Amino acid sequence: MATLSFSLNPSALTRFHGALNCLAKFSDSVSIEAEYDQLRLSALNSTKTAYSSFLFDANKFFSRFSFSIRRGDPRNPSSDRFSCQIYLKALLSVFKGRAVDSRDKDTAIERCEVDLIDTPDQAECRLVIKMLCGKGVIKSYRLTYESVAIQHAIFDKARSRNQWKIESKFLREIIEHFSHSAEQLDIYPEGSKAVFTSFTTKVTDGREVLKQPVHTSVTIDKRDFEDFLVEENLHVAINVKDFKAIIIHAESTKAAITARYTRPCRPLQLAYESEGMVCEFTLMTRGEQDEESGDGSPPATQSSARPPPRPVQISNTPTTERVPSLPSRSARSSAKPPAEKSGQLDSLLKSSAYMDFDSLFVPVDDDRQWDEPNYEDDTEDKLGWDASADLGESNINSEKGKTGNESVPVTEQRQEHNIVEDEQAIPPTQRMSQIRGLGLFD
Amino acid sequence: MRFRSQLANVSTFAKFTASLSSLGKICWMRLEEEVVRFTVIPDQGTQVWAQLPIDTIFDNTYTVQSATGVINLEVPIGALSKALRSATGATSAQLRLTKNGVVPLLALTVVASSWTAGDNALGIQQSNQVLSPAGPGEDRPTQPAPVGGPRERETVITQEIPVKVLHQSVVEGLHEPRCRDPDVHIILPGLVQLKAISDRFTKLATNTASGERSSSCPKLELSANMHGSLKLAIAADTLRISSVWTGLVNPPLDPGQLSQTEIDQLPSERMRALGTEGNGDEEAGWAKVRIDGKDWGRVLSVGRLSPKVVACFIHETALILYVYLRGSWAGEDSCLTYYINSYSP
Repeated sequence: MATLSFSLNPSALTRFHGALNCLAKFSDSVSIEAEYDQLRLSALNSTKTAYSSFLFDANKFFSRFSFSIRRGDPRNPSSDRFSCQIYLKALLSVFKGRAVDSRDKDTAIERCEVDLIDTPDQAECRLVIKMLCGKGVIKSYRLTYESVAIQHAIFDKARSRNQWKIESKFLREIIEHFSHSAEQLDIYPEGSKAVFTSFTTKVTDGREVLKQPVHTSVTIDKRDFEDFLVEENLHVAINVKDFKAIIIHAESTKAAITARYTRPCRPLQLAYESEGMVCEFTLMTRGEQDEESGDGSPPATQSSARPPPRPVQISNTPTTERVPSLPSRSARSSAKPPAEKSGQLDSLLKSSAYMDFDSLFVPVDDDRQWDEPNYEDDTEDKLGWDASADLGESNINSEKGKTGNESVPVTEQRQEHNIVEDEQAIPPTQRMSQIRGLGLFD
Repeated sequence: MRFRSQLANVSTFAKFTASLSSLGKICWMRLEEEVVRFTVIPDQGTQVWAQLPIDTIFDNTYTVQSATGVINLEVPIGALSKALRSATGATSAQLRLTKNGVVPLLALTVVASSWTAGDNALGIQQSNQVLSPAGPGEDRPTQPAPVGGPRERETVITQEIPVKVLHQSVVEGLHEPRCRDPDVHIILPGLVQLKAISDRFTKLATNTASGERSSSCPKLELSANMHGSLKLAIAADTLRISSVWTGLVNPPLDPGQLSQTEIDQLPSERMRALGTEGNGDEEAGWAKVRIDGKDWGRVLSVGRLSPKVVACFIHETALILYVYLRGSWAGEDSCLTYYINSYSP
């Protein structure tokens, strides 16, 4: 049983609302995680190509914050945090327009109090939001939430080789030029310039040609960046809509945005901080894979770092669950030394140019994944696996049932990770639920 | 086949394309030696045929080269209009015909410059806020780090609009509509006011009619006489409203083109004579058309160019608007011609 209670003053409320608005551009529901010193709102989009996270500092952001959880909760035995998911539209409607509603000074919101009532013995879980307005008016909203295990995308900042930082207003100027129908945004340095170009991957002909989105390219000087450390002519492409959503929010906080990435087809992170709020977005990139990028892991090595052959996978995969190769990676990486725990989620996503990935986590068609893995290859970027999710399998299943998405994305690594000692003893695609009883996960 | 030019008058061009794009998605753009023609022929609604002397929107860098001396393009006019928005306030803007693979493109290249705010308005340097130079590993010649203060930023924006090159044979069959001489010609009042009232009327009629036949858009009745009066009216089951302007100008026709006897025989002179009885307000002297309210609203979006508009009424048949851009009144070279059909009562 967990209790969570916090208050927001009007300015924090406005920024909280802003964060929810931004999250709403990525997903229908928001994941809420509470810990002793922070609250995290996150969302993963349906195609799992974009993950957004807002981390609120308990002391700096909230005017009051308290959280407690009873340890040894049978549902959540090893956790010191509480997590749940809420339908975003419902949550947004509570905040909609209210934070900025100052037409009537008398009844303007003076404080917003949020209480989470987690009572396992009752059927209903409730999040109670109270708006304390002037003249003693109190507006209360009771929302239902769903208790789920949260999926996080992990981005290893230490491994990113390319990085730039720029004031958000400059990026805001750039996105103004892109049309609404623009699809992909390619970012690359060219001499002393940085270029942002939109393109489409759709092939059209005949009369349809005229319906193609306008290709826009905006070139700015590298001097506009606070720092710019990007491999020359390295192209990475991300979704324009995601980029716009992020920039619009970033600009509202007036923060400087930092982008970090390694290379195309690996995740790119956009991050910025503002007054007790840390905003991080992990986006799937696409682009021309440059094998001579000085990666240190040549293609051969890359391709060999793959799970065992397919037949094993098929035999171990329940017929109802079409599990892509991802669990194998998760299992593998969970066995890595702690130093590597926060490995990037971007492994195995290398592929030929402009392949359309549906997911941050699952390559749609990467033939090399069937090759012999290189077990010694520690340089390989890795996926993380939250050990707590092993036991929370039922939670994951229930969520999958809900979303209809059967791949198991990475979960955050905060717990013990050394459970699996022999990473290859178990065919990697086997579900965690199936291998209980072997003594490894009990 | 080559076309390129610097844009001389971005805001006019942007407004012009925005007006056209309200009527249709595709525009036929015909680049000639002396003029550029834009034609929008939607499946339904008003046609517009426009011609601009090249110096209205282009400068002396205007170059058109092709076998026939003419380039015909099919342009998504909305996309062109949006792209031109990037060019407002730009230092320079160039439009040219190019290719990406097999897809011909109109490429708009805009150079915009602005000043960084610097750290403060006075440009006093603050040591703790330094715009650091770009990182190492970059081949730019080292220049002193622009520290703190305001600095000119340059942004280059390229907008590539997919177009289709039309063969001469495709456009040969397209002709401007021919109409008989108008019954009434009159200079319209300010389009801001006219549009506001028209839109208001349309909205009123739409809302009241929503119960029965919401599918059909309300029809405005527009009529004018040769004695400086224009009437805008709408009639629905539950309301009947009208607005009348008086003291407008019925422009004289160019005596250079027609002899006096020819002028006297024009329908408009007959209408002028008919209207003279009863203080110029005689019913017979009015020419009337019935037009689609929403379509009319889209036509009037040309008001953003603040042009001078001559409306020619052909009684119960059609309304033709000659829209002259500001400053070109004397030459009458830049002209948009709108052909609006009248609906039968």
